[in-house]
Amino acid sequence: MGEASTSRRLPLWLGWSLVTILLWGTWGLVSKIASDGVDAYMNQLLFTVGIAPLLIFVSWKVSKGIPGENRKGRGRGVFWAFLTGILGGLGNMAYFQAMVKGGKASVVTPVTALFPMVTVLLALLFLKERLGRVQWIGLGLAFVAIYLLNA
Amino acid sequence: MAWLGFAILALVLWGITGVTQKLSTNRISSLRSFLWFCLAMVALSAIVLVVTPPHWGMATKVVVCSVAGGILNGLGAWASFRALESGGKASIVISLISLFPLLTVVLAVALLHERLTGMQMAGAVVAIAAAIMLSLEPTPPKLDA
Repeated sequence: MGEASTSRRLPLWLGWSLVTILLWGTWGLVSKIASDGVDAYMNQLLFTVGIAPLLIFVSWKVSKGIPGENRKGRGRGVFWAFLTGILGGLGNMAYFQAMVKGGKASVVTPVTALFPMVTVLLALLFLKERLGRVQWIGLGLAFVAIYLLNA
Repeated sequence: MAWLGFAILALVLWGITGVTQKLSTNRISSLRSFLWFCLAMVALSAIVLVVTPPHWGMATKVVVCSVAGGILNGLGAWASFRALESGGKASIVISLISLFPLLTVVLAVALLHERLTGMQMAGAVVAIAAAIMLSLEPTPPKLDA
């Protein structure tokens, strides 16, 4: 019933997407406020404290079992996930440090949000993925954006 | 302009995670992948704790904002997974989510009284447009029977 009524008003995926925008958009703001009083390392430590309740919840969900998950290749999958966390955390520290060094939240966040340009380039080089015309234009615009934000 | 170097470093590191995350979720569920992502964050923080001795005595506002950062970021990641699992097309969901810096810009200008030059304002708009375009994967060619 809930699903049906939601689909008439607002699709569930759209609702979750808007929640994501709200949460990540606000993260940029609180990161700047925090960076005015703490260094990037301490910020990352406290950030991890914030993530802890979610970690406990996800651990509980995983412990109940994940239907349909293939055991084959799990070790490698875990390795890449762990590496993602390490790189993500190091990225966080660089993001905090950019703000500690005086970068405005309204400038640093749009610059760092261009990270798909690196993903797209790496996917092109190492995963042999093809880029569409729109992605090529996006890549060009990303460089223009960095230039303008740095002006 | 030291901030720019660190911002670009964050961009590169997060950009690499786009590939490693894909390599992970190609093999395991997004839930398990997220679990190990969080565990890696804990491991990294443990190293940080050992390498750089923490200094306490920060303002409450700062501590609250730092911890809130982790909560907001983690819940945001969780919500983005839910958006994808709720039937949203990846290209649309990810493009839509790419709008989040717009909210940061609005909040920072409104609440922190940050001021942007005309060029920076244009840059923010172009950056968001670029992020959306980059997330649009090309449509595979139609195979007619």
